[in-house]
Amino acid sequence: MAKARALDKRRKSIRNIRKITRTMELVATAQFRRAMERAVSAGAYTQRIAAMVADLARAGASVSHPLLEERQAKNGAALLILTANRGMCGGYNSSILRKGHHRADELKGEYENLRLLISGKRGISYAKDRKIELAATYDQFNDKPQYDEVVKIADHILSEYLAGNIDRFEVAYMKFISVSKQTPVVETLLPLSELAADDEAGKSAESNGAEYEFLPSPESILEEVVPTAFRVKLFKCFLDAAVGEQIARRVAMKAATDNADSMISILTTTYNRARQGQITNEIIEVVSGASALQG
Amino acid sequence: MKCIVVTPEKTEIDREASFVVVPLYDGEYGIGKGHTPVVARIGAGELRITSADEEKASFFIEGGFLEVSGEVVSILTDRVLLPEQVSLEEAEGRLQKAKELPQTNSDLAAMKEKALVGARGMLLAARKWRKK
Repeated sequence: MAKARALDKRRKSIRNIRKITRTMELVATAQFRRAMERAVSAGAYTQRIAAMVADLARAGASVSHPLLEERQAKNGAALLILTANRGMCGGYNSSILRKGHHRADELKGEYENLRLLISGKRGISYAKDRKIELAATYDQFNDKPQYDEVVKIADHILSEYLAGNIDRFEVAYMKFISVSKQTPVVETLLPLSELAADDEAGKSAESNGAEYEFLPSPESILEEVVPTAFRVKLFKCFLDAAVGEQIARRVAMKAATDNADSMISILTTTYNRARQGQITNEIIEVVSGASALQG
Repeated sequence: MKCIVVTPEKTEIDREASFVVVPLYDGEYGIGKGHTPVVARIGAGELRITSADEEKASFFIEGGFLEVSGEVVSILTDRVLLPEQVSLEEAEGRLQKAKELPQTNSDLAAMKEKALVGARGMLLAARKWRKK
């Protein structure tokens, strides 16, 4: 009976693990939905900003701003890597860290010094293990990144950029393309390449063609729009990362649950066979014992 | 006339209004029915919306832009707070902090100016609401 009992014990513990992974899958699904809703509702702001930029451009404001100009100086660069606070999400963290680490090495060659910023406990411990020096770490972001928190980081980066301490700012994060596709990317946020945010947002932001009055002037508004566009863009990176993390976790936990299921069915078959074998053995013993007595 | 207030996180307010007062960079700006199309910078302070049935509502908003086109007043702002969420102590603390910011070059000075405007607007609104 020893083998059958061991099999039964294993099956029980796998059932427990399955319960846990299944719950985590459900939690991730719910959180993904929430994160997705946030990402969608943030889109309204981006679209309106894009529409405003289009109106400004039509009003004849020349689109130039210190944040939009490519700098010749290559003194410093900053790279922000967005990872998750928790694991159990498949290759999510490692794929971003690989991408970010690779880009960091490239930037180190191009710029005199590189500041590495990491958000998420997973990334922080990755850097610690490899003794990589970090300029700043953030672990306050989870499935619901707050705009106020992101603005603090954005404003810090902006002031460093304007003071000339850094000449380039990039973010490595999981870009959300569709529910079934996310890819790790490195995006340059400073200097800002284009104002009209995403192409889709720019296109859908059709203007009604009214003649606007600008207070105080188109230039002054543009001056304000550019930093706002940067902040919103950074915020969008955080939102995308949050959505990507939940999707990755859901997929990983679904795979784990499925694996547990197939393991349980294999173990059940083996257990039943072992049990049956034992019963057969016992019958043979009884029968052969009885026939020995008769003979 | 429709009044829509959007923050980067979500659409905070979307309601019918008969009159809206927005705190612009240089003072309050009132918008009634049939207003000319305008794009303007918002400072910091009290946003007052009078709804179609003459009911008044106040909010604190900070930074961003106002766009009036047709019968829609859209306000893009960094944050929206209810009067009870604004405290005098916080406003005073912010003003103190803003005063201590460096202004070594023109861009940093502009950031300081912005922080000061935000803190003063908040202080003014907080004082007004405390009196009530």
